Amino acid sequence: MGYVAVKGGTRAIEESIKRLKYERVCQGQAVEVGQIEAGLRGLVDQVMSESSLYNEKLASLAIKQAEGNPEEAVFLLRAFRSTLPRKHYSQVIESNEMKVERRISASFKDIPGGQILGATTDYTHRLLDFGLLSESNQQVQEWLHRFQEECHIEQDSTSSPLTLPKVLDYLRSEGLIPPCECKNDEPDDVTRESLEFPSSRSQRLQILTRGQTGAVTSLAYAVIRGYGALHPTVGELRVGKLPVYISHPYEEGDEEDGYYIGDVKVTEVEMLMPVTVEKEYGKKEMEFEIGYGICYGQNETKAIGMSILDNCLENPHLGYPSHDEEFVLYHIDSVESTGFISHLKMPHYVTFQSKLDSVRKTKKQDEEAKEKQEVKS
Amino acid sequence: MKRKRRTEILIKGSRILPEQMTHEVERGYQVKIIQEPENGLVMLKVRETSQKSLFYLGEVLVTECKVQIQNHIGLGVVSGDEPQLAYQLAVIDAAFEGEFPETKTWLDLLETEEQNILEIQKSMDSSILRTKVSFETMDVG
Repeated sequence: MGYVAVKGGTRAIEESIKRLKYERVCQGQAVEVGQIEAGLRGLVDQVMSESSLYNEKLASLAIKQAEGNPEEAVFLLRAFRSTLPRKHYSQVIESNEMKVERRISASFKDIPGGQILGATTDYTHRLLDFGLLSESNQQVQEWLHRFQEECHIEQDSTSSPLTLPKVLDYLRSEGLIPPCECKNDEPDDVTRESLEFPSSRSQRLQILTRGQTGAVTSLAYAVIRGYGALHPTVGELRVGKLPVYISHPYEEGDEEDGYYIGDVKVTEVEMLMPVTVEKEYGKKEMEFEIGYGICYGQNETKAIGMSILDNCLENPHLGYPSHDEEFVLYHIDSVESTGFISHLKMPHYVTFQSKLDSVRKTKKQDEEAKEKQEVKS
Repeated sequence: MKRKRRTEILIKGSRILPEQMTHEVERGYQVKIIQEPENGLVMLKVRETSQKSLFYLGEVLVTECKVQIQNHIGLGVVSGDEPQLAYQLAVIDAAFEGEFPETKTWLDLLETEEQNILEIQKSMDSSILRTKVSFETMDVG
């Protein structure tokens, strides 16, 4: 039994939409989009990443409209995105051009350029700060002023720009991981062509980077808990801004003739996975494989989760669902998973009635059979 | 000055500079708008560092504008919803395309603005570097 169109409920729907607005504003306060953009950085970053559209203002607007519900905000942004023309493709973005704001390694204490903590909750006490209940704009501005003065006094005139060498390049130069040539094949685009299996690496990475934060994190956690075969360590995690350039649409020219259009803030993770490899004459050696994770904004658990799943999908294993590309890639998209789950509450009257009919018929047949048996005996 | 460097200065720097340059062009030339500033998307092509292959990270909202001055086409593209800046970038791009005499005097202005941007960036970097870890080896026993 398929789906059929039904009529009715127009007034109820209109009133329901009014009621939805009422719930958003019932406390008599309008939340400004600028306040969301200024104060809800983590949520804005998550929504931009999962909707695969980088713009803080639009993400903040979507969050306002969705009353802070990320899945609804992502849905709104994905829908908006589909109304816009794609005007250009960027020149290839190399992450060693990142202007670093945070950069750490869990594998090496002494990395070229050092460990830079940047802004992180890693070393904070997770105690509710009740002082924030009465925080005012004036207090915030005074704190900012003091902070900027402090930085100005201690400004190091010799400090070099924060574009740092990559830990992987260092390991490659030391011969600890095999060298790797640049591959310039044009990537596949899952927003233009449906995913087919086996998937390409570019499809996998695109789906992982726009995956739902919770789903990516949970599946990666399952891998480490035993539903996978990995023991990862963060080789390098960085947060920073990547400059975006596009080429002239009509003129051939070198890269310097391109246009700078702005920066995007991303989190990037290179995860090291030790593996034992059998060499000549059965000799076993330990080598490192690399899992790659990157996502819009500062969203470190997602980028770490992505790097773990990237390596899982590079090494298919029938015994573990986390190493099965169909299982992972078909279930981590926010719009697809929440869309399907939530559609279950939409009217299914006809399909359900047909199931009820089947149940009734079966019961009736059972009862008739029982009666016949009783008559015989 | 190549376009990449020029557009970076104009977008990162003060909004006053592109505004002044645009006014200067508008005073001396007729600017025909071929495409009003409109929103669109730029898809980001990124090289991952594990196997050094390419993939698409996602899209960025941009504003794009196209103008024509004499027979020179100018393109302005900037991330975000920035109709005014996109128009100004397009006008400046056309002026440089046509090698208008005004552009010669702009080079100094652009270089000065670049210095300002570098100073601000340096201050930001210095502030971030305050969070750099200085390890101390602990004595054992």
